[in-house]
Amino acid sequence: MVATAKNRSEVKIGKHVVTISNRQKTYWPDEGYTKGDVINYYDKMADYILPHLKGRPLSLKRNPNGIKDRGFYHKDAGENAPGYVDVFKVKSESNNKIIDYIVCNNKATLLYVANLGCIEINPWNSTMKKPDHPTWMVIDIDPSDKNTFTEVVDTVLAVKMVLDKAGIKSFCKTSGASGLHVYIPFKNKYEYATVRDFAHIIASLAQEQMPDITSLERSLSKRGPKIYIDWLQNSKGQTLASVYSLRPVPGASVSTPLEWKEVNHELHPKQFTIQNIFQRIKKKGDIFLPVLTEVNSIEKALKALNM
Amino acid sequence: MRAIWTGSIGFGLVNIPIKIFSAVQDSSLDLDMLDSKDHSNIKFKRINEKTGKEVPWENIVRGYYLNDRYVVLDKTDFEKASPEKTKHIEIKHFVDEAEIDSMYFEQPYYLQPEKTGVRAFALLRDALKKTGKAGVALFVMRDREHLCIIKSKDNALVLNRIRFEEEIRSTDELDLPAAKSKPEELKMAVSLINQLSGPFDIKKYRDDYSDRLLKIIKAKSKGKTVPFTPMKVVHSKTKDLMEQLKASLSEKRKAS
Repeated sequence: MVATAKNRSEVKIGKHVVTISNRQKTYWPDEGYTKGDVINYYDKMADYILPHLKGRPLSLKRNPNGIKDRGFYHKDAGENAPGYVDVFKVKSESNNKIIDYIVCNNKATLLYVANLGCIEINPWNSTMKKPDHPTWMVIDIDPSDKNTFTEVVDTVLAVKMVLDKAGIKSFCKTSGASGLHVYIPFKNKYEYATVRDFAHIIASLAQEQMPDITSLERSLSKRGPKIYIDWLQNSKGQTLASVYSLRPVPGASVSTPLEWKEVNHELHPKQFTIQNIFQRIKKKGDIFLPVLTEVNSIEKALKALNM
Repeated sequence: MRAIWTGSIGFGLVNIPIKIFSAVQDSSLDLDMLDSKDHSNIKFKRINEKTGKEVPWENIVRGYYLNDRYVVLDKTDFEKASPEKTKHIEIKHFVDEAEIDSMYFEQPYYLQPEKTGVRAFALLRDALKKTGKAGVALFVMRDREHLCIIKSKDNALVLNRIRFEEEIRSTDELDLPAAKSKPEELKMAVSLINQLSGPFDIKKYRDDYSDRLLKIIKAKSKGKTVPFTPMKVVHSKTKDLMEQLKASLSEKRKAS
């Protein structure tokens, strides 16, 4: 690392040099974590998180003033990016403008993005090679602030029960905030529309198992104090926080892959943090890797669900 | 173990300073009541039936309902009725324990001698063992007079509280058969009893309920079981969704 003027330093990664600024800036005032902690986290986490980001356009959520500030989304960040950053051009349907998405294909890009204040990393469900065919389907279990985490666990297990019945292999991770995410690998086999329809079916079946505590109602005011089984994140350009992504929430928790047997009433949504995640990964390895390689069949699933 | 009473036992001219300990423990699990929503502990409040407002302890009195109204008692009333406070258990006479119907038995306690009473304690214990008798006495605990027997058990002395006569209900209100059984049936029943008779071994009988419950609790804490009903019937709306997706998938297959 080379110290330069104005709180800047340079990190050399292979042949690339990433400029890092304001390392000492406080991002978590209550916990005392700084921007430098975020940079160090992704530096250490790169080997684990990069396979899950490779080839995927990113929706940048930037929190340059730390977690107490709401931050902002920044899609079109590729234009001014340094040479080691890959860019994916998408023509915006609304205004015919070209959007330059950053694609995180290497560690230098990951640290560049972290330096922009991206505490959270949000990749597409599909890659630039096959942008219309998602690698995975997601179901986001999103509680209201009136729900207990025990109810979130019960809901995700209802989703799992439906998926098991359908013969679908699924993977769970903490969102890092208050919810849980279920990933179903499809390896670019189906279009977004097909995957989204299937997600709707799974979410409906799960909702029917727990009608008292869950809802498919998108509008917050109509939903009331229920858990939202969100199946709508299965469209091109929509994103969830990546596995191994830090979250800009108190405690600096990490979206952490879980073994299904860990998904029980002892689980705490924020138990894996910037501090203890590496210990866990060292022990378990990347248990989310099959999301990139496994493949499920919607046709077989529909048959198994007795249609 | 914590002593729950200290005092002395007397028999004849001997006075033995002793401590009393409870001889039994509850084998059931200590479960707490919680709100199912957030697992907060449940708290009880003493409230006024009319106003619904909480009543502090210092405002609570006890009363007896007599002739359509409450007679309220105060501390001095209770004191007047209480037996003279005494820390002495005088054994007045001795009986065979077998003479006492088991219905009379209540809570058992262990006795332990204070330092100055060790020899007299051993003497009483050994004499009871030798004669197979139990001493009968009255003693005062928690402002109430209790009847008890004192007997030897291994190296200990056991004080067993027993009920007073008036605590046992009569069988007059029960509808019980008077007719005698037929002799041949009786003979068969007796021979069956004799066949199944043996020495009483308490170790043969266990209260497994708590063990089983604890096993379930431990399994649950590890998350082995989460209660789930089998999958419920699919609504027609979801069925429609499934039908549509199936159709669109097969169309795509034809097209490609």
